[in-house]
Amino acid sequence: MEILGFLADGFATALTPTNIGLALFGCFIGTIIGALPGLGPVNGVAILIPLAFSLQLPAGSALILLACVYYGCMYGGRISSIMLNIPGDEPAMMTCLDGYPMAQQGKAPEALAISGIASFVGAVAATIGLVLFAPLLVQFAIRFGPAEYFALYVMAFATIGGITGANPAKTLLAAGIGLALGTVGIDPQSAVPRYTFGSFHLYDGFHAIVAIVGLFAISEALILLEHGIGGHSGAVPVNRAFARWPDIRKSLGAMFRGSGLGFISGILPGAGASLGSFIAYTLEKRYSNNDDTFGKGDPRGVAAPEAGNNAAAGGALVPMLALGVPGSGTTAVLLALLISLNITPGPLLFQNQPDIVWGLIAALFMANVFLLILNLPLVGLFTRMLSIPMWALMPFVVMISFVGIYSISHSTFDLQVMVGFGVLGFVLRKLEISVVPVVLGLLLGGEMESMLRRALAISGGDAGILVSSWISIGLYTMTGCFLVIAVVLAMRKPRRPVAQPAADADYVGD
Amino acid sequence: MSSTRSTPSLRLSDRIAGAILLALAIWYWIAAGGYSVAYGDPAGPSLFPRMVAVPLGLFAAFLIVKPDPDPVWFRWPHVWGQIAMLAVLIVYPIILEPAGFPLSTSVAAVLLARILGASWLQAVITGLVIGFGLFFLFDGVFGLPLPTGPLFG
Repeated sequence: MEILGFLADGFATALTPTNIGLALFGCFIGTIIGALPGLGPVNGVAILIPLAFSLQLPAGSALILLACVYYGCMYGGRISSIMLNIPGDEPAMMTCLDGYPMAQQGKAPEALAISGIASFVGAVAATIGLVLFAPLLVQFAIRFGPAEYFALYVMAFATIGGITGANPAKTLLAAGIGLALGTVGIDPQSAVPRYTFGSFHLYDGFHAIVAIVGLFAISEALILLEHGIGGHSGAVPVNRAFARWPDIRKSLGAMFRGSGLGFISGILPGAGASLGSFIAYTLEKRYSNNDDTFGKGDPRGVAAPEAGNNAAAGGALVPMLALGVPGSGTTAVLLALLISLNITPGPLLFQNQPDIVWGLIAALFMANVFLLILNLPLVGLFTRMLSIPMWALMPFVVMISFVGIYSISHSTFDLQVMVGFGVLGFVLRKLEISVVPVVLGLLLGGEMESMLRRALAISGGDAGILVSSWISIGLYTMTGCFLVIAVVLAMRKPRRPVAQPAADADYVGD
Repeated sequence: MSSTRSTPSLRLSDRIAGAILLALAIWYWIAAGGYSVAYGDPAGPSLFPRMVAVPLGLFAAFLIVKPDPDPVWFRWPHVWGQIAMLAVLIVYPIILEPAGFPLSTSVAAVLLARILGASWLQAVITGLVIGFGLFFLFDGVFGLPLPTGPLFG
């Protein structure tokens, strides 16, 4: 099968010494970033994208570095969830529920080991799924014309609102804000400047990366001050993550079930790693909570969501790579990275640059292997990192954000825009309006508009082309169903009370 | 999450935000009308903004009608820290090029560390490490030119 051949080539590319070095570096940095409370995969990758971009790494190497940072952050986030009851990112919330009790019972090494192994299992399952499904989806995606892509974008935006569980009206409002911000600049189709107020700085519009770093990192810094000063975590350093085989074997079932559920939920646009971990945990609890041990330190309560969210993270890459439509915050950031490297995901990517795609997939797999190997012995080092005081860490994060953005464009205007987005992010988070749809709108609005206009140009202005194919009709129907489900769910219960994490990590992640 | 009930059922935050966004949506719609060209595709530059303005306005109106409880916007005394931090963030891009990277970054980092609770000594050390360290790392090791300013240029 030529897919295996491509995959082998991918591994060959990924396993060069430079790339292995970058991978290890990325895994290490990613784990540290993820372990630190307040920074998660989205922040970590967002802060490092400008750096990778301006270092002018070849596309394949940049992808490997950032994929490793991405997964590293997810692994690291578990450390802070288990040790501190502070989820490193939204998907990690479920891990706190059983992980922290385990740590309190002195079983932190087991919890950390099980979460590492479960994450690995989930990621492997996702890689296999990706290898199997992405090409299938690509075959199918060839039939997508502009009208179908437009329908897909509509569905992606509509479902972002429904599935994340927060107030859907606010999430859709955020998407609208993002789309509106995305129209600022010179219109690519007609060269008419829109909403630029005569400032030629704005002719290029708002760069997604500037928005991302501002909305996530800078707003985080502003919000951090609210929780008081002198942040020191209360973690007890642990020397090694270690679990015995019988414990691991008991959790294997949970790992596999979690992986399957996670991968499926990851594929759906609008769902992401948090939905994966949530579904995996809830269903595992319903399935195996015979002695009411969940919530009090059952290892399966750690294994299921961990496998779930890693599988979902991998699954989310399927629509992202095959169709170019990200379904979550982290895939949106990955998409921003790919675009900044001049790589356009979509079916053509698989045809024209298969080495990039399979190199990335191989890199993700390698990242998980490295992380498993690194994490088990090095967790002591990482937990020691948790005791860096906030007054040293936050200024460092903020200044790195500035340097990163400046090194791309050498424009202090962009820096001011970044601060502006930081303030916007602060306001939105206060109003409990999720920030991720804003980024998605900014990132995808241009493509969405271009598809619409192309479709209408093909049909000479006849709007009927938008619903003329079965694919479009199917997509719009699914969108309608999702919206109805979302409204029904939102009306049935007042917004679910989120398990109280200490940092405002929730409205940021996927 | 930092939402607690402040005054019962006034819920002004969402309503004000909704009103502002609604006004913006209306302005956005009107401004879109001015973008038109005689050539090009049938949709033109004004169609998509108008399509976005509609749900934007509707959801903003929804926010006015069905607001959520108010969040706690400002926790005293921390809000002074936030204002100070914001001031540093706003001034930094302005002085970056004239004063040079090492100097402005160090000063900014010192101030940020101090705002976050470090003692002056800790803040100065941290600031200098960050400012000069990042300069060395990016300008020296990575080869990305950063403005050096009058002292070192």
